[in-house]
Amino acid sequence: MLLLQGLVLGILVGGMYALMASGLTLIFGVMRLINIAHAAVIIFASYLSWQLVLSLGIDPLISIVILVVVFFIGGALLQKYVLSALIDKDLSLALLATLGVANVLEGMEGALWTSSFHSINTPYAENTYQFGEIFVPEIRIITFAASVILLGGLYVLLNHSNLGRAIRATTQNRGVAQLVGVNVNRITMIAFGIGIAVAAAAGPLMGMYYPFYPNSHWGWIGKLMAIVVLGGLGSFRGTLLAALVLGIAEQVAILYIPANWAAMVFFVFLFAVLIVRPQGFFGHVARESL
Amino acid sequence: MSARRVLAIAWPVLPLVILVALPFNGLNGYLLALLYYTFTYAAMSVGWNIIGGYTGYISLANLGFFGLGSYVAGLMLTHLGWPILLTSPLVGIICALVAAAIGWVALRTRGPSFVIVTLAFTFIVQFLALNLKGITGGSAGLYLPLLTMDPLLLGDLFYYYMLGVLVLAIAVAIGIRRSRFGLGLIAIREDEGKAEGSGVNTSLFKIVAFMISAWFAAVAGAIHAQYLNYVDPDLAFELIIMLYMIVMTLLGSRGTVWGPVLGAFLLFPLQESLVYWVPPAIAGEVHLALLGVVLVLVARFMPNGLLVTVQNLIGRPPPPRWEPVPVVAGEPTPARAGRDE
Repeated sequence: MLLLQGLVLGILVGGMYALMASGLTLIFGVMRLINIAHAAVIIFASYLSWQLVLSLGIDPLISIVILVVVFFIGGALLQKYVLSALIDKDLSLALLATLGVANVLEGMEGALWTSSFHSINTPYAENTYQFGEIFVPEIRIITFAASVILLGGLYVLLNHSNLGRAIRATTQNRGVAQLVGVNVNRITMIAFGIGIAVAAAAGPLMGMYYPFYPNSHWGWIGKLMAIVVLGGLGSFRGTLLAALVLGIAEQVAILYIPANWAAMVFFVFLFAVLIVRPQGFFGHVARESL
Repeated sequence: MSARRVLAIAWPVLPLVILVALPFNGLNGYLLALLYYTFTYAAMSVGWNIIGGYTGYISLANLGFFGLGSYVAGLMLTHLGWPILLTSPLVGIICALVAAAIGWVALRTRGPSFVIVTLAFTFIVQFLALNLKGITGGSAGLYLPLLTMDPLLLGDLFYYYMLGVLVLAIAVAIGIRRSRFGLGLIAIREDEGKAEGSGVNTSLFKIVAFMISAWFAAVAGAIHAQYLNYVDPDLAFELIIMLYMIVMTLLGSRGTVWGPVLGAFLLFPLQESLVYWVPPAIAGEVHLALLGVVLVLVARFMPNGLLVTVQNLIGRPPPPRWEPVPVVAGEPTPARAGRDE
């Protein structure tokens, strides 16, 4: 029964992990870039949502709409004016630039909101439901449902629109996409913007679920990277599956070992997958021309 | 040997003599400590440059090795009574062996998994330092026995010790740069597939480069633990240390011998002066954000770093990778003859 409890909570938290990691996957797909600032963007969105609740009384779920638009624009601008020039020159420079962005966000949050814990309170979601012997907090159902809706929207966008087809074509083969008339630079900019917007959408949900502070993004980026590596870098399906697997593994582990040790589950999986199957669940072995 | 050539080789002797002489001429207190920190960061940056600059693989594990070095040295001192200033090379070797294991996982393949694994490694070591309370003392940290010595002389001791580590780091960096090993690393950075095709054992080269890089981070961590007489998970794994290594190397010019040194000697004193004009309550945060801004700006607008950019500006061409084949006057060059026929 205890195991079932872990399974249910694991699926609920896994849905949110999937949302948090899917932007990272999208960005890796089109740019071959690990966005080290991804979790910092999520935390930044959490802070902004917290501020919107405090100053304007905007519900965190509503604030997602605002944040998505703002972060899409911000992400697209960052890609266009900073990262795109670096990608062509040297991928490691772009990687270091995202490290710089992460630190800028962290430092700014600390200066604006101090470095103490914050969390987004939702007084309407403090119930806990009981199904048989399984206890499920309402907030976890809400964040899961919101994550699934947002992921569904992303899925439809990527699979059933021309923009989505262009993004997937660019992911699969940049050169060929360009040959068939895709403006790959523009698509890359838009896809990066979408990736950042998805991170922003995850921010308020994360903040309703977990407390956050400026440098908590380091803990998160480790988890998110474990998810995308397990899923196979760049694979959207793999990310969803890996997020569920790791969410369940973490929640089950919490039942048997101290909660802070459960975070190690992610790294155990990370190292195991790199030793046994470096390309992850759905990844391809990268081939480069000699 | 012309005077010019002697100057080109021997110029580092002058700054070295000055740095050695400074404590004899009344340098102490704040400035001595400032230089000690600058040496520490310079040595670690030179070490980072070997994997991050020469080989072109971004390592976020060097912070983990700095912290691991602090803890290994601290534990050897408290449990076995071995003085850190003598054991630090051994601590470096232990951490280099850990680096070999990490490298075996992450460097067998090309591509992005290295950066992920190195970051994960840093988190894991920090996590263990925090949570293996029975061994590491958890968040309370380890208090190390003080060195019994006149405090003024002690400052000088650390100053010279770290200066020695820095000189060693630079010597190793020069040695690697001039060896076949160094050429192999640069070949890996330029085109790993071609390097492998032309017979470079890329996996081995990358792992050895990573081990050397880890050695310097660990030795610096060990000495710094004794300098502070204290190790805790926050100080030993402060993320800003990692950022420093990277920003200093990139600012100075990555892939060059002197770039990271230049970056450290410019950046560290400069950021220390921040204290005078930023409100202390948010100084740490502003400092972090500014380093991030510097990193983004350097990557975007001066990716070659100061040293190479200035060299290009004053018109000195970068040194050739290999000597061009001399053409004997009067004979047509083979390429030309082939095209004419």
